[in-house]
Amino acid sequence: MKPRWRKVLSDLWDNKTRTLLVVFSIAVGVFSIGVISGAYVIIKNDMSASYAANHPANIELRMEDFDRDFLTSVQNAPDIESAVGRRIFAIRARPVNSTQWAALDIVAVDDFKKNDINLLTPISGAPLPGKREVVVEKKVLKEFQVAVGEDLVFELSDGSTQTLKVVGIVQDPTTGADDFLAPPFVYVTMSTLPTLRQPDAFNRVYATVDSGKNDEAHIRNVSADLVSRIEKNGKDVSRSRIALTNEHPLASTVNAILGILMALGILIVFLSSSLIANTLAALLNQHLRHIGVMKLIGGRANQIFGMYLVLILAFGLLALLIAVPAGGQGAYGLALFIADKLGFSLLGYRIVPMAFIIQIAIGVLVPLLAGFAPVIEGSRITVLSAISGEAGRETAGKPTPGAKRESRWEHFQVRAAQALLRRGIHLPRPLLISLRNTFRRRNRLILTLFTLTMGGAIFIAVFNVRTTLFDYMDNVGHYFVADVTLDFEKPYRLSEIENVARQVPGVVDVEGWAFATAEVLFPDGSVAENLTVLAPPAGSKMVDAQPVAGRWVQAGDTKQIALTEGILRSFPNLKPGDLLTVKTNGRTDHWQVVGFFKFIDREGLIAYGTYDYFSREANLANRSVSFRVVTDTHDQPYQRALSEALDQHFRASSYKLRQARPGLSALDNATESLDILVIFLLIMAVLTAVVGAMGLTGTMSMNVLERTREIGIMRAIGAGDGEIIRMVIVEGMVIGSLSWLLGLALSVPFTYLLSTIVSLAVFETPITVVFTPLGYFIWLGLVVVLSALASVVPARNAARLTIREVLAYE
Amino acid sequence: MSATSSALIELLDVSKIYATEAGEFPALRGINLAINAGEFFGIVGKSGAGKSTLLNMITGVDHLTSGEVLIRAGRDVSVHHLSENDLALWRGRTMGVIYQSFQLLPMLTLLENILLPMDLCGLYRPRESRRRAMELLELVEIPEHANKLPAYISGGQQQRVAIARALANDPPILVADEPTGSLDSVTADHIFDVFEKLVTRGKTIVMVTHDTGLMPRFNRHLVLSEGEIIS
Amino acid sequence: MIAIQQVVKTFKNAAGEFTVLKGVDLTIEKGQFVAIIGKSGSGKSTLLNMMTGIDRPTAGKVFIGATDLYAMSESKRSLWRGKNMGIVFQFFQLLPMLTLLENVMLPMDYVGMYDVDERPRRALELLTLVGLEKQAGKLPLAVSTGQQQLAALARALANDPPLLVADEPTGNLDTRTADIVIELFQHFAEQGKTVVMVTHDPSLTERTSRTIIISDGEVVNETLAQAFPLLSHRQMLALTKQSVRQTVAPGKVVLSRDQHVDQLYIVVSGQAEVSIERKKHASAVARLAAGEFFGEVELLRGGKAVATVCAAPDASLELLAIPHEALLAALKDSPLTEAALTRIVQHRVGDGK
Repeated sequence: MKPRWRKVLSDLWDNKTRTLLVVFSIAVGVFSIGVISGAYVIIKNDMSASYAANHPANIELRMEDFDRDFLTSVQNAPDIESAVGRRIFAIRARPVNSTQWAALDIVAVDDFKKNDINLLTPISGAPLPGKREVVVEKKVLKEFQVAVGEDLVFELSDGSTQTLKVVGIVQDPTTGADDFLAPPFVYVTMSTLPTLRQPDAFNRVYATVDSGKNDEAHIRNVSADLVSRIEKNGKDVSRSRIALTNEHPLASTVNAILGILMALGILIVFLSSSLIANTLAALLNQHLRHIGVMKLIGGRANQIFGMYLVLILAFGLLALLIAVPAGGQGAYGLALFIADKLGFSLLGYRIVPMAFIIQIAIGVLVPLLAGFAPVIEGSRITVLSAISGEAGRETAGKPTPGAKRESRWEHFQVRAAQALLRRGIHLPRPLLISLRNTFRRRNRLILTLFTLTMGGAIFIAVFNVRTTLFDYMDNVGHYFVADVTLDFEKPYRLSEIENVARQVPGVVDVEGWAFATAEVLFPDGSVAENLTVLAPPAGSKMVDAQPVAGRWVQAGDTKQIALTEGILRSFPNLKPGDLLTVKTNGRTDHWQVVGFFKFIDREGLIAYGTYDYFSREANLANRSVSFRVVTDTHDQPYQRALSEALDQHFRASSYKLRQARPGLSALDNATESLDILVIFLLIMAVLTAVVGAMGLTGTMSMNVLERTREIGIMRAIGAGDGEIIRMVIVEGMVIGSLSWLLGLALSVPFTYLLSTIVSLAVFETPITVVFTPLGYFIWLGLVVVLSALASVVPARNAARLTIREVLAYE
Repeated sequence: MSATSSALIELLDVSKIYATEAGEFPALRGINLAINAGEFFGIVGKSGAGKSTLLNMITGVDHLTSGEVLIRAGRDVSVHHLSENDLALWRGRTMGVIYQSFQLLPMLTLLENILLPMDLCGLYRPRESRRRAMELLELVEIPEHANKLPAYISGGQQQRVAIARALANDPPILVADEPTGSLDSVTADHIFDVFEKLVTRGKTIVMVTHDTGLMPRFNRHLVLSEGEIIS
Repeated sequence: MIAIQQVVKTFKNAAGEFTVLKGVDLTIEKGQFVAIIGKSGSGKSTLLNMMTGIDRPTAGKVFIGATDLYAMSESKRSLWRGKNMGIVFQFFQLLPMLTLLENVMLPMDYVGMYDVDERPRRALELLTLVGLEKQAGKLPLAVSTGQQQLAALARALANDPPLLVADEPTGNLDTRTADIVIELFQHFAEQGKTVVMVTHDPSLTERTSRTIIISDGEVVNETLAQAFPLLSHRQMLALTKQSVRQTVAPGKVVLSRDQHVDQLYIVVSGQAEVSIERKKHASAVARLAAGEFFGEVELLRGGKAVATVCAAPDASLELLAIPHEALLAALKDSPLTEAALTRIVQHRVGDGK
């Protein structure tokens, strides 16, 4: 090997700590980009592929009960390729050996063998249930533990129970794919329905279209046409939903979240590149003498430039060696996690060529770009300054004759200390040294501060985003003030239910609510949105409404509704006072929007109206099927206990209660999924913080290395180990604290940016940003600890130097 | 000291002035000097006399303030009219430079250190380079350490390697700045023996020293004080 | 003040061991201004490092006052050094981020000497002493190298240490500043501080109270160096090794006339009486004091002793005896010494006759 390449090899090998530092800082960036881009490609492909593979319905209709003949007429409707009928209803179930009920949805399928829509993917046991058997969707396993061959106890509407055997576990990637908060499914055949005291009738239509399976407008037209045909036949369609075949309904949400992670990944690359630039600048600085010697013996600038470029490439390649396999694994792991959460399966482990290429490009290009400036600068150094050491070291080398001018900054520092002293503020010299050392390598300091500040700002911002999201959920909670919701099979008089409910200790208030469903129509008559109207009595205590525009519904309102902001997706210019064309109970009507509020819209939009009007419309004046109960205490366990108590009480009193749900339970699922998102963000934040801390460690090591001579002098004039260690650590902490102050400011725009992106992805609506001191304090603690840790090793090394090594006489 | 047009190294009215806050500091004041091929030439003076600066003018490592340095090795070159890059290549082929502190690259073996100038200047094929490097190690009498790192040999041996490295591209001129400054007297003697051997082989050596005791060993010398030649 | 006992320092590397100090014994008294001189590579800086505790001896002990320097941990030694020793380096080694005043205050901060409020006052006093009061607020980079060294000197004095150690303090200075530095050293020595300075500049030895020559890791006998200053250091060392110390009781004869002489004697301490027998009368010709020698006539001219030498009756006489052949070998390589010796011989023989 040519000696110059041998030198490059030695540079790589001899200082392993530095090589590892550079390689890891490149690897962190490459790894995170690899994970995210890999997961992005895998999920983008597999999510929809797995969805499409199960023949998802293009049209889903919720309607009143119908029979097989009616289904035939649906199947014969124009441009319908295939249609199946199912019966879906809510039920409670528990394993035989448990007392904890879980709310499930039963899906009854007429003939599993003929079923060609919303196919099930078998996981274990039998793929299909027989009579008096069930197969469960694997999400059920999150509610309780049940194995194939074990029994489940179902609670029927009359209060009796039925025990059915679980024969298989399946995955259903399609049914309810748009709503990952929906209760899990249990599948039975229609022939099992009598056992469950359910009529042998369908209440859902799942249909695929003949052509244009991925043409949203076409499907919408076919759906509208089908609905009007059905309604002409005298059946009510309460809700219709359309979906494309090869696009998972949540694809855009997941992509948006992956997009956020990607942005953070790019940021990490960016940060690690500044770390690389720092380390390379220091490396070249240490190599000035070598460069000088090589130039002296005939080396030209481009040869030296080439050597260091190769060194940088080697750093990049080493980093790729670590980061590419790890990134590939990580990508698949992340994809697997998301797939599991959203209930679809991946097509198997693979290397994503795209991610591979991106990683290689980043691993090679970023270090080259980061190292370009220091390498150019280093290779242009003159022999004289390199050999005499004046370019690299500060003043430690042989002094040049005469005196230099103080820089403005040095001047300022000196004057500041003197001014403080005059006011009687006495900064001890050891502290002064730490402070002034901090600012000696200005470029290095700026890069270090940049990485650490970015890491900190993101860290703080993630905490703010978390608080913002939970504040939003809290806000949503204002519409779930009820502690227990009671749903009955049939309507009861308000006063009657109130009296019975008040017999249960702890019940403070009871309200009966009215409901209506409607479809909001575009001017051309096609369906824009599904709408559920909740109609509490005027002056309800169960809704703590906080309209963001217009007003809330009030007593005397009739066709007036307050609507979630989600409507703005379809009608961006809608303002309070405007009229909406709706179709409800088979009739077209016009409702006036009086105000907007914030809510999580899933399965259609939510609106509030008045009980008086909507109960009359439903012919249920003074009666209701759904009641809200307020209890004297509002925590979750209490709500759960009281809903159990109410459940037993009403069933014992022979009321046809469908279910009693604790109030906050609906929010639980949502909160949980937000937590997952926040955890991802936190992981990215921690990664950026780690990169920042690595940067600081590197900087402190380089500083100590360059100041060994000074440290020797300090020892020579009386500084002990403690003084030296303290000096280095204080400098690290000064940098850490500075970055915290900067991070304080920078976290504000980051919080706004992240919150907006996340909330647009998750809630599809902008969000009111809330700040929490928590992130600021945690980061302060963390950055102090990190910077102390980052300086400890360099400090100890500094203390270990003997003076002779340091002052090595010429 | 009169300038002869046939001299190998010729300095014409060379001045070097450092600008400092305290004012201008003249390190060299109008030096005229001619060194002939085959001479072992000493530049003697106390520290601060400007002798290293003078050497830097000859090697072109530092810029001069006024004057001209001509070197007639192969072709005539005015050192300070070359670009930085041309200068590097020219210097690599024309001049071997030896410093007090050896300046070997610590991560390369002795052999590789000697190979490096040949690698950088490309005058020899790889195989030839190797042969040549071994020959040079034999010339300075340490072939047995060829594959050791500089840290594992003594200072005197390191300086021998530095000399071998300076000879790598077979330059006509050797320039040495206090080459014996860090060595004990016995080792320093050996280094001088090597220099004298090289002079008999036709090399021109220019050496800087503060040690007046070494003056008798040069063919010719000058004494520098305060930037001027005093004898 | 300083006692160096059998100090050996060996540096090891893969090429083998290299002994820089070969069992050095040295005592330096309080208030002395000592120059340690030697060629580069002689081990003088290493010897200085042994005194400052900057480096550890491989064997042997170093006492400063009553303190065994190497019985302390490195960190403790730093603190001790800060209190008891001021060090001046060739390259000044001021901390570049501190002003001159702050640099001078730093040692006080490290060892906690003086009241916090007194430190700036004292530092300014010290800077005034070296003539830098106007530059106190400047950073080292902004003053000349000479001023940097003066500031370094002020820093060395910060904790008022009894011992000042300097390694080539004038090596990088113009002659004028070098003069000031040496004057200051002399001043401190007069005040009772001990000053030890390493230098390669022999001209400085005229201004010190004592000169110690180091050659190839060993100390040259000071008496010998004093007697033959023109020998090279290596010759001095060679003679040191071949010389023998003798103690002669008061009044006793060292050398009788006509006795065969094959050594040259240098007086280390005490006095030697030289007498020539004239007409059966012994008459004292001269009294030789420390640094003076006898036996040189016989060395150059051969033959038997021309005079009788005995220890003065009042005190015992310490002598250093050097074999003639060793000295003759040395003279061959040192024409200057030979010339000087010849002059002395001519002078003495002339006197004798």
